[in-house]
Amino acid sequence: MSEPGPYSDAVGRLFREAPGAGRPDGPGWVSGEAREPLSATHVRWHLQATAGRVAASRYEVRGCPHTIAAAALIAAQLDGRPVADLGLDLPRVAALLGCPTTKLGRLFVIQDAIERAAHVLGAEQA
Amino acid sequence: MSTTAPIYLDHAATSPLDGRVRAVMLACLESPPGNPASTHAAGRAARARVEAARAEVAALIAAPPAAIVFTSGATEADNLAILGSARGNAVRGRHIVSVRTEHRAVLDACGRLEREGFAVTLLTPDRQGLVEPGALRAALTPTTTLVSVMLVNNETGVVQDIAALAAECREHGTLLHVDAAQAAGRIPIDVAALDVDLLSLSAHKIHGPVGVGALYVRREPRPTLVPLQFGGGQEGGLRSGTLAVHQIAGMGEAFRLAAIEGPSESARLAGLRDRLWRALQTLPGSHLNGHPERRAPHILNVSFEGVDGEALLFALGDLAVASGAACGAESGEPSYVLRALGRDDALARASLRVSFGRPTTVEEVDVAATRVRDAVGRLRSLAPA
Repeated sequence: MSEPGPYSDAVGRLFREAPGAGRPDGPGWVSGEAREPLSATHVRWHLQATAGRVAASRYEVRGCPHTIAAAALIAAQLDGRPVADLGLDLPRVAALLGCPTTKLGRLFVIQDAIERAAHVLGAEQA
Repeated sequence: MSTTAPIYLDHAATSPLDGRVRAVMLACLESPPGNPASTHAAGRAARARVEAARAEVAALIAAPPAAIVFTSGATEADNLAILGSARGNAVRGRHIVSVRTEHRAVLDACGRLEREGFAVTLLTPDRQGLVEPGALRAALTPTTTLVSVMLVNNETGVVQDIAALAAECREHGTLLHVDAAQAAGRIPIDVAALDVDLLSLSAHKIHGPVGVGALYVRREPRPTLVPLQFGGGQEGGLRSGTLAVHQIAGMGEAFRLAAIEGPSESARLAGLRDRLWRALQTLPGSHLNGHPERRAPHILNVSFEGVDGEALLFALGDLAVASGAACGAESGEPSYVLRALGRDDALARASLRVSFGRPTTVEEVDVAATRVRDAVGRLRSLAPA
């Protein structure tokens, strides 16, 4: 019998499939970027909005399996949300994925990238 | 072979027990009980097994059998060599020299000595992992009593020029300890030619059992060494405790096999190592870690630009290799060995140590190459350009 690995099934699935990953083509996209040098985590988030709400999101990420899985999970949850209110419940995301608390800092990189993208969107709409 | 079947390429961590070693151990375990310290027939039989194993271990490093002290493994041998030597020679001086790329069994023992008031100097190797004899010479002081340098680095496979470093130690009158846990059975070792005083050995790195190792202690002149544990005075008083006969017999058999098969096996493993590197170096942004020529045959360490090491390890699934990020997966700490060679944090973290052993086949190496290339390619496709 093997010991359970350090990653939950959800992390395994989201890491393998990475739904929503990639650099988008076409007009109407804005991007935000954030890095965390200690772990070399790097996230670039792309947002498209309609009538002040997120119409679609894409992401590019270099990071650990938890970070990649969290990006995929968050991307699936952003559609339809008001651009002005894209705050994330990262402790809940971490809990859903079984992400260790020592890695919470990496998840904040995702939030920073999304906030920067949202800021660009807000500036364009203003 | 299947492209998804498990492949074990982490022999530098531990290698599978050879069936012939297992047979020797089972024969011991199925024999009547006997403590090698006892004088009755069963005790004498156990003693004979221990001494036969001692001779095999000694033969692999061209040492006299009486110079071999059995321990629970290379970690204990390292601890005994460093703590025992430093404490035993403290009246002469309290300065130790080692290297930043040593195994934790050495570095943590040095750290313990620092807490006891010893001074420790850790040398930084060059970017290929080699310690310059001149750098060692400059670090030696009148109070230096011990130098500890490993023969084969456990992460990079770099082979130090121990004889050149030993010459510096000899000129200075300093003892030299060498951790040879990754070297035994992989490259030739002659303790007299290397001119070392203390040398640590492990059984499970060359298809012997876990839980047994040995320390070579030069006979003439014999270095002062104080024991770390006390009791029955076994192993010349240096390592008290009833000897684990089946473990020791297993180690003896593993070393006997290594002596016979080592040269041809090492050539085969070097071929596998080079085959894998040829396949991986065509990936843009792949970097060989460590010296390109002074390398043990069974270890390949490569860093990949633009990927996270932990993610790479996870993406490899049932390909069992080690990562520069694995030890600090939660803390995010990159490999201190690769950092000491000047790799930046990202490259030190995005590294794989692939290590080969007796069961490794060409087919496994080719499948491993494909899996690594695919995983690196996929992770790079996810990452920001």
